[in-house]
Amino acid sequence: MPSDRVVVIGAGPAGLEAARLAAELGSPVTLVEKMGVAGGMPVHSDYAALTHHFRSASDAMGEMVGAVTSNELIEMRVGTEVTSVEGELGDFAVTLTSDGAEESISAGAIILATGFKHFDPGRETQQYQYYELPDVITIAEAEKMLKDENFVTPSTGKPPERVAFIQCVGSRDRQIGNEYCSKVCCGISSKQAIEIREMVPDARVFIFYIDMRMYGYWENEIYWPAQEQHKVNYVKGIITEILPKNGRLVVRGEDTTMGRPMEVPMDMVILAVGMEPSAGTTAMSGILNLPTNKYGFVETAHDILDTVTTTVPGIFATGAATGPADLDDSISSAGAAAAKAVALLRSVAVPV
Amino acid sequence: MGRDVSPKIDPSRVREHETFELDGVDISGHWNRMFEQRVIFDYDVAQLDRVTDLDGGESMGWCYQCSQCIGVCPVDHVGDYGPRKIFRKLQVGMDFFTSDDLWLCTTCANCLRVCPKEVDMLQIMPAARKEAVLEGAVPAELQDVFEKTARYGNPLGKNPKRRIAWTKGLEVDVPLVSELGRKVDVLWWVSDYPSYHPRGMEASRSLARVLTKLGIDFAILGAEERHDGDSMLRAGEQGLFEMLADQNIEALNSYEFDVLLTTDPHAYNAFVHEYPERGGNYNVEHYARFLADRIGDLNLSEDVLSTVTFHDPCYLGRHNGEYDAPRDLIEALPGANFVEMWRNKQNGYCCGGGGGGMWLDGLAAEHQSMRLSEKRVLEAVETGADTLCVVCPYEVSRFEDAVKSTNNDGALVVRDISELLAEAMGLSTA
Repeated sequence: MPSDRVVVIGAGPAGLEAARLAAELGSPVTLVEKMGVAGGMPVHSDYAALTHHFRSASDAMGEMVGAVTSNELIEMRVGTEVTSVEGELGDFAVTLTSDGAEESISAGAIILATGFKHFDPGRETQQYQYYELPDVITIAEAEKMLKDENFVTPSTGKPPERVAFIQCVGSRDRQIGNEYCSKVCCGISSKQAIEIREMVPDARVFIFYIDMRMYGYWENEIYWPAQEQHKVNYVKGIITEILPKNGRLVVRGEDTTMGRPMEVPMDMVILAVGMEPSAGTTAMSGILNLPTNKYGFVETAHDILDTVTTTVPGIFATGAATGPADLDDSISSAGAAAAKAVALLRSVAVPV
Repeated sequence: MGRDVSPKIDPSRVREHETFELDGVDISGHWNRMFEQRVIFDYDVAQLDRVTDLDGGESMGWCYQCSQCIGVCPVDHVGDYGPRKIFRKLQVGMDFFTSDDLWLCTTCANCLRVCPKEVDMLQIMPAARKEAVLEGAVPAELQDVFEKTARYGNPLGKNPKRRIAWTKGLEVDVPLVSELGRKVDVLWWVSDYPSYHPRGMEASRSLARVLTKLGIDFAILGAEERHDGDSMLRAGEQGLFEMLADQNIEALNSYEFDVLLTTDPHAYNAFVHEYPERGGNYNVEHYARFLADRIGDLNLSEDVLSTVTFHDPCYLGRHNGEYDAPRDLIEALPGANFVEMWRNKQNGYCCGGGGGGMWLDGLAAEHQSMRLSEKRVLEAVETGADTLCVVCPYEVSRFEDAVKSTNNDGALVVRDISELLAEAMGLSTA
């Protein structure tokens, strides 16, 4: 039956913001989250401080969840998946499945906010031996260690003396199939480098990069302080391979601005893994019949004038479900999706 | 013809000590020959910390390798050297304080002009060199000049009493302020090379004639004047600078004058930026500005039939922002045709004499394909000029040597602006 309800799929930063705004605009909202807890990647991947501004991820996500749960127009359904969708703009029948129980609800519009997953560097970039070497970790794992305030070399349990970040792991790579830049990894690595220097002051931190992509204020808020105040060492030239030697990890590559090969020992190597479409994004794009691009992200109008409208009337997509996005991007596009969804429902004058 | 497979050795990667003894065994010469390691095996960033920990050395750690400095570094145009390269070498463990790189910078300030990160070699170099001076790790030729300057008050090691030799036999009067016993309008700070160097003395005589013709009430300090110390400070000898500055301030503060007129942009720089905090506050003018402000009174009547180009001194231009005065004077020369060099004003190419470079020709020659002064002379010749006009006393000798060494004798003459003005005023220039 026709409905003015907005169903938001995914309760990460983008979904939480889309739900909050749609409700503030007066629409009833059902926010569906597959996991048992809302908050998305910052919560489930144990992010420490957010990029940029270093605000605690728990605090920020707590604030977002609080704004949603305190709003009477929003019904939050955690531990719940969307398993099928029928109908059309103004009159969607959305099947929710929770603990094997199915329930159908009516919705006028749907906002997809199913986000991304971290690239798995063991899968493709075998030169880094991610599956084999315990001291080769990803920025996602480093976040958890930083959140726990226990930053140690995994194999020894001791604070590292030398830490290397390798940028662009799983991004900008035709062989892997991810030709895009994941947009946030340079900033997150630099943020983590600052946190490591603060937590383990004796640790030397190196960032090996192709080109540092520090968009907008990230340059002056993260990159410059990392180098100038926290003495993080940036070396232009990506690491080709990691080989264990004498109990340490030797990173090998070219130091391009010296024009010389290098083989330098490290205690830990942190892979700045990029973004890929999450399992939820892949599944939901199928269920909702949304075209995806060659990388599996949901295709929106992909226009500078519209970042959230999909090819299916009444269905919008926001955040990293549409491609690599930082938090600023996700929050902004969530606002756009909520406003467009509510406006569209009003323009078709759905009777309630 | 087979392919030449004989080993090719890049001489810049050869490390060889002329004399070397190891455990009592003489392994001098080729017996100790080593080749620079190709692979970087470590980043010993402690060496970078040693520089960034210095008061004034902080910004060395700010470089993000944009390489804009290399585009304008006068030294890298004749040798492999530049600010962003120093940063990288420090990251891979270079000991800056014993490296020749420490002494190749002329503090010309062109890198700082273009550096988006404001990596300030003008602070870094003196700070790091100061450490080397304290350790006694100074190139011998520069150490010799430090000692001469400390002993005689001038880098040429000349007798202070001979400072006024250039005034002897001059048809105009160049009074000593100590003998006048009264306030003068203009106290002329002649500087060392204009007092002692043969070509500098000629320029001084011309300037004395021009000032006299203008009716300026001026005097000089004579033997009471010592080296201004500016270049010593840039070369890391802060103690020597302070001693000279204090002696000079004591001398200057015992006389009354309205304007302190400097021949040397380096002296000008010291008086404007360094002396005030030590108690020396003067109304300083460089002679190019002083004369440019009196162009109407110069009565430039005689044709100077020359095509003139002009070299901006780093310490007058980039360091102190004066680009117009010398140009206004050249443009006012009757009959002369003024042409700019390709690199001029803010982008002027350094003569190589600043920051101690004046006394490091030997070290520079080991690292550079030609002198900076030679590079600049070739650029001057390229303009079609027959006259290279200068307003810095370091330059007459540097460029005249470069004219000879580049086989441009007869094609280009180096003249101080005061010599050109004296000619245009119908005054003797001998």
